[in-house]
Amino acid sequence: MLSCAKLFKSLLISSSVLFLSATSSFAATEAKPIEIKGEIIDTWCYLSGVMGGEDAVIGSAHHTCALWCAAGGIPVGVLDEEGKIYMVLKLEGEDTLAQSDNIMEIQSDTITAKGLHYVRDGVNYLVVQDVVANDGITNFNHEDFGAVPPNSFPKNYSAN
Amino acid sequence: MNIVKTLARTASVSIALALTASIAYAEDFSKGSKAKEFGLNEAVQSTFSAKVVDLLCEVAGDCTDNCGNGTRQLGLVRDADNRLISVLKNAQFQFNGPAEDLLLYCNKKVDVDGIMIGDPEEHNTQFYMVQFIKEEGAADWNKANQWTKKWKERNPEVAEGKGPWFRRDPRVVKQIEAKGHFGLGKEADIKFAKENQ
Repeated sequence: MLSCAKLFKSLLISSSVLFLSATSSFAATEAKPIEIKGEIIDTWCYLSGVMGGEDAVIGSAHHTCALWCAAGGIPVGVLDEEGKIYMVLKLEGEDTLAQSDNIMEIQSDTITAKGLHYVRDGVNYLVVQDVVANDGITNFNHEDFGAVPPNSFPKNYSAN
Repeated sequence: MNIVKTLARTASVSIALALTASIAYAEDFSKGSKAKEFGLNEAVQSTFSAKVVDLLCEVAGDCTDNCGNGTRQLGLVRDADNRLISVLKNAQFQFNGPAEDLLLYCNKKVDVDGIMIGDPEEHNTQFYMVQFIKEEGAADWNKANQWTKKWKERNPEVAEGKGPWFRRDPRVVKQIEAKGHFGLGKEADIKFAKENQ
């Protein structure tokens, strides 16, 4: 009798764990303080492959396109040194679609930021509280790829 | 004996719920989709019912009126499995995000049709491009193409002009004038043009 009860108890616990794992989004999202270093990227071009491989849609090569996408309201991300992407939800107290220049000025830059990290259904979300360092653009990959896409650099460029 | 029966019943219900959730997670959402895949990375057609949510509110508990009135990124909580779907793109092919299309349905139930993209093994999940949207159960689909219209309303001084919006956008123009097309200053642009044009 007791062993039967134990068996069902363990079944109940296992199935509850299974249920909670399968529906992880039922759980509240926990914030973890984080300090992160990475490049500010355009998530759509990076993830969709629409403009080519991942190496070409970051850095200086993709800078103008990243500006277009950020101005166009495509979510901005931080690509860390391990290749993990964090979707930026807030930048130093400002909503990311607030139409200010703040989000534009750091496109393609490598930044170090302190903030809060949330994981929900496999996606990393980031509330940037403080950009503690900005190294500017550190990936000069336009030397290898040119402008990506090519029409992001004027056909007949004039400095004036 | 009653305790054993209750435990058994509870365990069965929990297992059934767990299996239902697992099945929903693995469900094929492509059935009935009319979305285009455009040959994008790991693109899969995906149509489902969901609730439109403010991501900051949903994830961080930082809530505001009307999902931020266009200042915030929005997402979709899918009915079938309660998963929060991160939406990157609307249906327009001019570098446009999804917030304006989703904002019309803030905190409402919708049906969406689009594609999931991105390598799920590399990034743990996939991301969504919404191509069509309607209030849940409505007859007619709306193309998710609100962004350019809203941009014109926000930028009346450059709303009409030569070329696409992104070549006239004041915030883009300001950055390119300050830092050049590669973000490295005008000298880098001049050097590149000299070597390649």
